[in-house]
Amino acid sequence: MKSIYTAISILCIYLLLTGCVKKEILDEIYLIESIGFDHSKEKSNKGMIVGTILYPIYQPDQPPKNKTLTAEAHIKKSVLQEIQLQSANPIVTGSMEIVLFSKELATNEGVLELIDPFQRDPAVGSGLYLAVVDGEAKELMEGNYGIRGNATYFSNLIENNIKNEDLPKTNLHKFLFSYYQKGQTPFMPQLKRISKEKVLLNGICFFKHGKIVHTISPQEMFFFRLLVDKYSNGLHRVKIDEGEAAIRSIRSVHRFKLTNRFPKEVTVQIKVHGIINEYTGTKVTPKVIDSLQKEFEKEIDEECKKLIESFKENKIDPIGFGHFMKTQIRNFDLTDWTDSQFQNLIVKLEPDVTIAEAGVIE
Amino acid sequence: MSMSIPENKKVSPFLVFFIINTMQFGIGVLGFQRIIAKYAGYDGWISVIITGIGIHILLWMMYKMLKIVDGDIVSIHSFVFGKTIGKILSAFFIIYFCLLTVMVLRTYIEIVQVWMFPTLETFWFALVFLAVVVYANFGGFRTITGIAFFSIVLPSYILAIFLFTIPYSEFDNMLPIFEHSIKDILTASKNMSLTVIGFETLLVFYPFIKEPEKSKKWGHLAILYTTFLCLYLTVLTFAYFPEKQLQLNIWPTLTMWKIIAMPFVERFEYIGIANWCLVILPNACISLWCASHIAKRLFSFTVRKTVPILALLCLIGTSLLFTRTQINFLSDLVSNVGFYLTFGYIPLLFISTLIAKKVKKK
Repeated sequence: MKSIYTAISILCIYLLLTGCVKKEILDEIYLIESIGFDHSKEKSNKGMIVGTILYPIYQPDQPPKNKTLTAEAHIKKSVLQEIQLQSANPIVTGSMEIVLFSKELATNEGVLELIDPFQRDPAVGSGLYLAVVDGEAKELMEGNYGIRGNATYFSNLIENNIKNEDLPKTNLHKFLFSYYQKGQTPFMPQLKRISKEKVLLNGICFFKHGKIVHTISPQEMFFFRLLVDKYSNGLHRVKIDEGEAAIRSIRSVHRFKLTNRFPKEVTVQIKVHGIINEYTGTKVTPKVIDSLQKEFEKEIDEECKKLIESFKENKIDPIGFGHFMKTQIRNFDLTDWTDSQFQNLIVKLEPDVTIAEAGVIE
Repeated sequence: MSMSIPENKKVSPFLVFFIINTMQFGIGVLGFQRIIAKYAGYDGWISVIITGIGIHILLWMMYKMLKIVDGDIVSIHSFVFGKTIGKILSAFFIIYFCLLTVMVLRTYIEIVQVWMFPTLETFWFALVFLAVVVYANFGGFRTITGIAFFSIVLPSYILAIFLFTIPYSEFDNMLPIFEHSIKDILTASKNMSLTVIGFETLLVFYPFIKEPEKSKKWGHLAILYTTFLCLYLTVLTFAYFPEKQLQLNIWPTLTMWKIIAMPFVERFEYIGIANWCLVILPNACISLWCASHIAKRLFSFTVRKTVPILALLCLIGTSLLFTRTQINFLSDLVSNVGFYLTFGYIPLLFISTLIAKKVKKK
């Protein structure tokens, strides 16, 4: 009998103590889904950062309404503080989907200081997307895209392109990983607003010391992904004399090999396993497939080399050749990797394309 | 000074596996990767294996000693050093086990405060938690063993959860192997001790095992399993973080969960941390039990008196630690004391026991 009383009293303590931490009811907070950062436009506020937050207002039987709030401040946390002055409910960062930086800000000021709070905040997941906006972040966020809210639209856009198309894997963790990895530099996808209802993924921006130094176009993205992601997919058009074909790479694998030490030479083997999605010529014969494969291999070789050359020019190493060298050579010194040693690195490519299927018709 | 424990209070030999394993696998595993990488870089996984081998030897020594005196640590001390000195030495173990309880509890509360509820009061949480611990202690050693069993079986699914990080892992981070000196690797092994201490509780609960000879196998198996778990976590962590980024994270194991996003739960840490409460519950229970049991043996109090008194002391100790620095100081202290106690004192005690046995025979 005594033990029952003990049990009941302990239970009571538990029930009473549930009130000891702060409650957060979903309808009474602003769940930020996205934050955007811009340069201040006004001359009096030079050097200040404009922060825009985006939060959905859920309504019965309707798509969520996109609401934005904007404030100016010197650092990110104070942006949130300034915004708090305009908001009727507490702002919560627990379900952030994407952080946007205007290209101008990312090129001139850098993004590192702005990313630090997201890395520090335990409420923010590592799967958070980061993206550069070609134009103004605020303007992009004020549009109306899709039926599930703007932030979800942006993150779905990126996710879809990673899963099915040419965009290499990217998120907060990937960015920090390549930033902290010795012998590697980070990158982010770039978004552009076309109209009030349309957004375009229009390239990849490369960073050095937190600032954008180089951007590639969507056409180059396919080849960049072949180099940077171990497994990748995507679509590429190949033109031969008989016609033009759209080849979807189902699964590509790359492998790095250190083939020579003096001078340093790395061979990248790229295996592409593809199918023909579309062909403008008359008939897909084995001969056509053969020449398509050859042409594709040639293009991979050329384009990838071009990309690597442009990385060397800009002294960046998003593919992580430096890291690779470190794993292969004992006590490899990476201190001036991108500036000197990378410039002399010889990269050879060994593409191997196999086209297995040509669709349901012959 | 051996004592007889009634048969109905003893536990089966195979349960030793759960008691030792659960004591080792507690709060340390949340952050040990950073500490070993600090000294041995990404060769740290070798340190894990070395520590594991070391503990196997210590466990063998402990079993040998306990068999000679057929009792617990108090019997060993009085066998070797005589009654008075033996009692003083045993009293140190009470302090040690109390410190262990405080460290486990306070570190866990800190994690809850940092990751989930910044407003959580240390005192109230500690009060409730210790109330449960005291309640379990009143149930006797068998009840505690039951808790130990469930604390391994129920949260075991978490181990599979870590595999979510594999798409973002680069296992070549660990190459080249043996880039650090033997000295560095051993230093890392030493500093890992906080993670693996706990097996010394065997010195106290040995008389509670039915057919202790048969439990040897299970004890060694427990240590093998702990080593395997630590190795598993180390390899996954090293692959997931670049070295520089790992050094920034206080609890890399928890930070790894940030990448997990499931359709039904946005962030896994909340489930994981809440579950961890179950993992540390037997840690606190067993260490408090050990402390109170030694106290009972030394001063012939009843457990009904020693347990609440020691729990009260732990509660005061826990509530007095406020900042990260203080908590860090405590865990460093426990880690150091634990290291010298297990890797220094136990071998010494082992040799003394053998000598004492020889002398007494003559």
